[in-house]
Amino acid sequence: MKRFYLIGFTLLLAFDTLNLLCFKAAGAHALPLEMSTAWLLRVFSHPWVYGAIAGYIGAFVTWMSLLKHAPIGPAFAASHLEVVTAMALSWWVFSEPVTLTQIAGAGVIVAGIVCLALAEGSAKPAGTDSSANGCLPNT
Amino acid sequence: MHGLALALWIAYVLLDTGGQLAFKAAAVDDRAGDGLARWRYMLGRAWIWIGIGCYVAVFMVWIAFLSLVPLSEGVLLAAINIVAIMVAGRFLFHERLTPLRVTGILLVAAGVAIVGAGS
Repeated sequence: MKRFYLIGFTLLLAFDTLNLLCFKAAGAHALPLEMSTAWLLRVFSHPWVYGAIAGYIGAFVTWMSLLKHAPIGPAFAASHLEVVTAMALSWWVFSEPVTLTQIAGAGVIVAGIVCLALAEGSAKPAGTDSSANGCLPNT
Repeated sequence: MHGLALALWIAYVLLDTGGQLAFKAAAVDDRAGDGLARWRYMLGRAWIWIGIGCYVAVFMVWIAFLSLVPLSEGVLLAAINIVAIMVAGRFLFHERLTPLRVTGILLVAAGVAIVGAGS
């Protein structure tokens, strides 16, 4: 089960990040921004927008697979690791400014996810935990 | 906060939480099986479509909300969804809330709020 979560959340993060980067690039390649068919044509004539769509679909399929076993409360919280990678990439790839407060917030998010990972590591397989009808995989 | 912004924010929390719970309900149906058959089963039932419908609505509500409220405040309030979904999971799906899980979830929510406040 630990491997299932590790692979699942890594894939989810990868698809979310792909989606974000492609969206940003699709917008940048279609400049200037305008409410016109010319702008839409520019957006759809570059491969970036298809990467963004692929990211959406991949993230959705991964999320639905994760939810088969993962409890929704902790899983939804853990999916916010995307906030941290988005921040890092916006600084690194797009040279956008990042504030100290944001770095502190990212640290708090990471600390929370470490707690959630430890909680899964120490959780005993329990009957009522992972699904409404009490069926639990204990691998 | 302005009355309309408050109404949009309540709609946002309800739709986001409702959408995630609908996805969870679709995903835990044991009769669905595995692989492609599971997807065919899920796509033939209402839950996944309710979830997708909520998501489309959330998208519109979020854009409308952000046109009234600064992004930093918007993100701050979005952190509340994390807690709302934790509570809903406890009651609807009997998810155990161990102290370590609650600590982790609250830290993530606080972190998201701090990132929002710092932008």
